Amino acid sequence: MPAPEAGRGAAHVRLVGLRKAFGAAVAVDDFSLDIGRGTFTTLLGPSGSGKTTVLRMLAGFVEPDAGSVIIDGVDQTGRPPNLRGTGMVFQDYALFPHMNVRANVEYGLRMQRFDKGARRERVERALELLGLGGLAGRFPHELSGGQQQRVALGRVIVLEPQVLLMDEPLSNLDAKLRVRLRAELKSLQRQLGITTVYVTHDQEEALSLSDQVVVIDKGRAQQVGAPEAIYRRPANRFVAEFVGQANLLPVVANADARGAGPAGAGGTAPRSQAPEDRASTEAAVWATAAGRRLLVRLPDERRPGAGAAGTALARPEHVRLAHRDEADAASEDRSWRCRAKVVSRGFFGAYSRYWLELDGVPDLWLADVPLPELGGEETSAFEPGASVTVRLNAGAACWLW
Amino acid sequence: MTYGIRSLGRLWRYDRGLLLAYGLVAAFLLVFVVAPLMRVAFEPTVADWRQVFSTPRWRSASLNTLTMLVLSTGSSLLVGTLYAYAVTRARVPGAGFFGVVPLFLLLTPPFVAGLAFILLLGRRGLVTYQLLGLETSIYGWHGLWLAQTLSFFPVAYLVLRGSFAAIDPGLEQAARGLGASRAQVLRTVTLPLATPGLLAAALFIAIGILGDFGNPMLVGGRFQVLATAVYTQLSGWASFGTSAALGLLLLAPAVLLFAAQQWVQGATRERFATVGGRGSSLPTPTVSPWLRWGLFAFCVLVTLFVVASHGVVLMGAFTHLWGVDFQPTLEHVAYVLGQFGGLGNSLRFAAAAALLCTAVAAVAAYLVQRAKVPLRRGLDLATLLPAAIPGTLMGVAFVLAFNNPSFKLTGTASIIVIAMSVSYLPVGYRICAAAMDQLKPSLDESAANLGASKLRVLTTITAPLVRQALAAAFVFCFVRSVGTLSTVIFLVSFDTPLASVAILNLADQGRWGRAAALASALVAVTMLSIGLLYLVTGRSLKPLAESAHAGA
Repeated sequence: MPAPEAGRGAAHVRLVGLRKAFGAAVAVDDFSLDIGRGTFTTLLGPSGSGKTTVLRMLAGFVEPDAGSVIIDGVDQTGRPPNLRGTGMVFQDYALFPHMNVRANVEYGLRMQRFDKGARRERVERALELLGLGGLAGRFPHELSGGQQQRVALGRVIVLEPQVLLMDEPLSNLDAKLRVRLRAELKSLQRQLGITTVYVTHDQEEALSLSDQVVVIDKGRAQQVGAPEAIYRRPANRFVAEFVGQANLLPVVANADARGAGPAGAGGTAPRSQAPEDRASTEAAVWATAAGRRLLVRLPDERRPGAGAAGTALARPEHVRLAHRDEADAASEDRSWRCRAKVVSRGFFGAYSRYWLELDGVPDLWLADVPLPELGGEETSAFEPGASVTVRLNAGAACWLW
Repeated sequence: MTYGIRSLGRLWRYDRGLLLAYGLVAAFLLVFVVAPLMRVAFEPTVADWRQVFSTPRWRSASLNTLTMLVLSTGSSLLVGTLYAYAVTRARVPGAGFFGVVPLFLLLTPPFVAGLAFILLLGRRGLVTYQLLGLETSIYGWHGLWLAQTLSFFPVAYLVLRGSFAAIDPGLEQAARGLGASRAQVLRTVTLPLATPGLLAAALFIAIGILGDFGNPMLVGGRFQVLATAVYTQLSGWASFGTSAALGLLLLAPAVLLFAAQQWVQGATRERFATVGGRGSSLPTPTVSPWLRWGLFAFCVLVTLFVVASHGVVLMGAFTHLWGVDFQPTLEHVAYVLGQFGGLGNSLRFAAAAALLCTAVAAVAAYLVQRAKVPLRRGLDLATLLPAAIPGTLMGVAFVLAFNNPSFKLTGTASIIVIAMSVSYLPVGYRICAAAMDQLKPSLDESAANLGASKLRVLTTITAPLVRQALAAAFVFCFVRSVGTLSTVIFLVSFDTPLASVAILNLADQGRWGRAAALASALVAVTMLSIGLLYLVTGRSLKPLAESAHAGA
């Protein structure tokens, strides 16, 4: 596992060696993480991975069996939730049904004994900020899902907490609203500059919101890094398959592996390459897959030995498809190619997804082909059963440890 | 254990308010539940026990108690179950009206049934003597059986109504769809799903009958049961050892039943988890017309019986000398007007007891269910313990525990209030715990996250959200306390007269008119108080019905 990358600011929250078992089931094991001040960190993992337990240990609802939670240099071990200064937005919002919006937002200020004037001023500001001004007198059951979500957020940020914790806050909303609120959430977090820890199983949410993503599985951090790094250079097979779609390719490192230059040197640059991404200058290695040479990027400082067998990862959007005869015509470039058969096709709006059987590759592959700008979707489509050639540009594949 | 101490330490550091509440509730339970029981358990000497077992009178009283326990519990359960089935599942005509009749009975003290039986079927009874010219009497086991059935079937009705109503009609329809006949559905689906409710009702009724004192005193005649034996032994002979031993004899079957019910409840909770909670919009499947009209006739009969028994008490209140001179008169009403002390005490003590009971029950339920304090299993058990203690034994235990010169509470109002609240604590606790169980844990957590200590979570979030249950617990404890006799009869003094005790004494002296008038007045003011409470809090009659789920 690579070392945690430094956040935007100094470490505000430190989780050190956290461990928690419920009976015989170990929920979280040896979990350490530094969270920079003002950054947005997402804990991403499947259900049962332990991500929510980490969040609940941060909030103080769960006491760790070992390790400690340090906020602003102060060890929080043994301190109850009401004295931690962490504000949490719950998955089910947990709005108090017997209080109206104003009373819900004011609740924390009352509990922390703010005087009446300060309470009113802060509540007004929070309601204004979240666009809830007109709803102050409503009760939770009179609000839509999105409005309830806003109240849950307003109720927390009115306290100006040290750390904002969110447990799948968007999972109860419909898809459209989810995307809209995601953007609002991000801009609000930027505006307030509040250190945020966010739990989700939705990789799209994690990638689009975060400064730092922590992929968790089986109670352990599998990889910590910036969203692009997680996606482009997954630390292991679990991360590769959980974040995005993964095409797996058995490869063998060539004897001349150590002499390989930067990945971008030969082939055409991959389409989705971000300018700040270091991929173009990172190390790469020549390998052989299905009888052809292939330049494989290396995600970190580890180097495969000559003749080492491994697996390479290619993302569906980097897989190029061509009819068999066209591909043979344009065969002079350095890209890797392989014969394949189309198994089925699905139309996803922005792109078409193909399921493919590659010669000499055990797993089914996916290829995402963007919708062409000019009509003729019929001509560019590949029918199930068609024989095609799959092509990967140099550096499109990444070594999977 | 070390975990418990560590978390107590955390409470001391961070949540002293909750720790204080914990301490108060624990102290209350230790002093007023556990300690009196220990005290009474060690009171009888070996000689006392030998005497109890060798005296033929008491041997037959034990046998009588057991007979009555089996007969009355069985008949109350049968009547209550049939009635509940008729109202909730068979949908007999007028189910709405019939459904309220037993609720009305619950508002009246149990011994009113005994009083009514004397007026109807006694030596000078309206039916036996006036109509049929018989000189026979109902005094004895058969009269007592009838009176106990009338007094206790509403308990079975209430619990089973809840159980039946919670059964998803979809299950019955599915069984029909799979080819089961109506009778088979009843036997294989409906009744098995109602089993936990049946057992809970059986426990309530059995323990009520074991400790009941009023009806055996009024209509038992020569048929003596242990509860009356305990009373004569203590009040007549001041023999603490033998009365404690006799009372403890009552505890054995009660504890057995209690353990059985707890075991069954634990064993069925998971399995039947799908039954409760979800309101279904499906109509309940129809029953055969024969069954429906049979049940209708049954409901009419029971209702007539209830109306006759209570009507006759009201009539007795305005009759010069029952059985001899049926001249209408207001002399008994005038007497009652002079007895405001007892009536007022009954209401005031019951209200105070209900308040205390609700407060202790709510805090205990919160500590066990939500705050997850250390040693909560013990707290849970201590709160439920009074449910297994027959009222008569509790009375002896209180007399023994609080009659010593250093800590003398007998004869004071507070001991009566405490005895009343302890008696109904388990029901109040169950009502509160069931309601709190329905609340999402995230509500507590978010309140804590926003800065509320656990004590403030209770006062600002949990308690307001379960206020319906709190009202139900209060009403239940109030109504039952007004009519209670078994425990308090050992504790009243000249300074603290109670209406229920006065009625028993009047009836015992053959002053039927006065007894009937005072009983009617007691029922009337109880209902008036409940009505006022609802007016003030603006609620429907729902809380009383909610208390039905306490046992289920």
